[in-house]
Amino acid sequence: MIKVISKGLYTTIQDKGRFGYRNIGVPSSGYMDSESAETANLIINNPKDNPLIEATLIGPTLEFKKSAVICITGGEFSPTLNDIKISSYSAIEVNKGDILKINNSSIGSRCYISIQGTIISDTILGSKSFYHQITNSNIIEDGDIFLFKKNIRTLEQKYTHKKFELNKTINVFRGPEFKCLSKESINTLFNEEFSIGINNRMAYNLLEKIQDGVNSIISSGVIPGTVQLTPSGNIIILHRDSQTTGGYPRILQLNEKSLNDLAQLRTGDKIRFKLLN
Amino acid sequence: MQFFNLNENTFLITWNQNLDSNLTNLLTSYRNIIMSICGDDIQDCVQSIKSLLVIINNNGSSIKKIIEKIKMIDPKKINIKNKKIKVWKIPVCYDLEFAPDIKAVSDLNNISIQDLIEIHLSKTYDVLSMGFLPGFMYLGKTDNRIHCERKVKPSLKIKKGSIGLALNQTCIYPTESPGGWNIIGITPIELFNLQSNSPCFSKPGDKIQFVEISKSQYVSSLKNPDKPDFIEL
Repeated sequence: MIKVISKGLYTTIQDKGRFGYRNIGVPSSGYMDSESAETANLIINNPKDNPLIEATLIGPTLEFKKSAVICITGGEFSPTLNDIKISSYSAIEVNKGDILKINNSSIGSRCYISIQGTIISDTILGSKSFYHQITNSNIIEDGDIFLFKKNIRTLEQKYTHKKFELNKTINVFRGPEFKCLSKESINTLFNEEFSIGINNRMAYNLLEKIQDGVNSIISSGVIPGTVQLTPSGNIIILHRDSQTTGGYPRILQLNEKSLNDLAQLRTGDKIRFKLLN
Repeated sequence: MQFFNLNENTFLITWNQNLDSNLTNLLTSYRNIIMSICGDDIQDCVQSIKSLLVIINNNGSSIKKIIEKIKMIDPKKINIKNKKIKVWKIPVCYDLEFAPDIKAVSDLNNISIQDLIEIHLSKTYDVLSMGFLPGFMYLGKTDNRIHCERKVKPSLKIKKGSIGLALNQTCIYPTESPGGWNIIGITPIELFNLQSNSPCFSKPGDKIQFVEISKSQYVSSLKNPDKPDFIEL
């Protein structure tokens, strides 16, 4: 059992996501940075799609009421166990009564805490990922208790993983409405920097505007990573919790890797778009 | 029919015809065929007003192969006339208490509230698409005589079950939410049931027929929400 001493800024349970329900308007949700999340599972020999804890900017403090093996990946959140610094990207043995503290992030925006075995939490429409219209909980709260089923797996085979690094070059394909862009806008899009404004699990807003007055389209499907252009010239990059259809022109589409990279950036960070096709 | 690849595992199929029931039926037929011939290769297939968005599973299948399969579908075999379509009867209470915008929309169109209700009840609507919220239905097309723009200032709290109007569409809010549609009534029907593996009774391509109920009928059926009745056309 794990008790939440302090919930952090925006801490949720996520797995790979909720698939097969977009036609009735249910977003996929799931790990914002799937690469870091899957790595957290694989290092402790969990199935790579296991549910785990996703922390955002300010991490939670958790008290373990029984022993466990855990792994922390993603951004640098200076984690401590009983106030002693522990390393990320490795299996950590936690004893009964230990206090795990995930601090403020110095690099990156999201970190993942995997627990060997299975977190016991409601599966709704095939997923344990929190989403406010679907699951009872929106975020983890102070005092919440999590049960988990231990599943001791040997760690003989060392999982090799890529080093975590921030990447501010965002790779994109042309979107279905790319053609609504003027030459000047295209030039700006691929030669200038854009700053990240308000952002959450649904979408990343960019501060710099490009051309205004583009017509809305007849509402059509969107997916995480779709880049929309609003009539006032604002750019919105949809992320994992985004709605399933939209009426703004879809000018670009991120690939999966850049969707993960973007999830680690924060307000004020500057990105550049790089065209893939 | 045009194909457009969004990313490594997602593509769009777009139709350019004008929107009418035939187009909605055509999209629904294509969706059913795609789901049956591609089976486990498809993760999601999202029907919108003039497009299908297809997400393929990461199981080794390729977009190219799936698009080839879809192009092989003989359009002549898509018989939209013979397909059975479900028409759901959705009870609506138009009492002013639950219809904060009904007066403004009828004033705008120079008709009485009673006229607006009758015009809204007079059509059977296609479920064009679902989105915005889980289970939120976009229904069309509405009669020109009840046309209205979205509200300039969205309402912060629209009641669960509210029936909205905007442009040439009407909608149902499955849960309480902020929103910009003009609210003209409310239904006691449970639109999104998480206890079920198919949480919505209807899906894009079905039809909706509204049926007027009184305030007391609304209040009593709210206590025992039934699944709506349907007929098959």
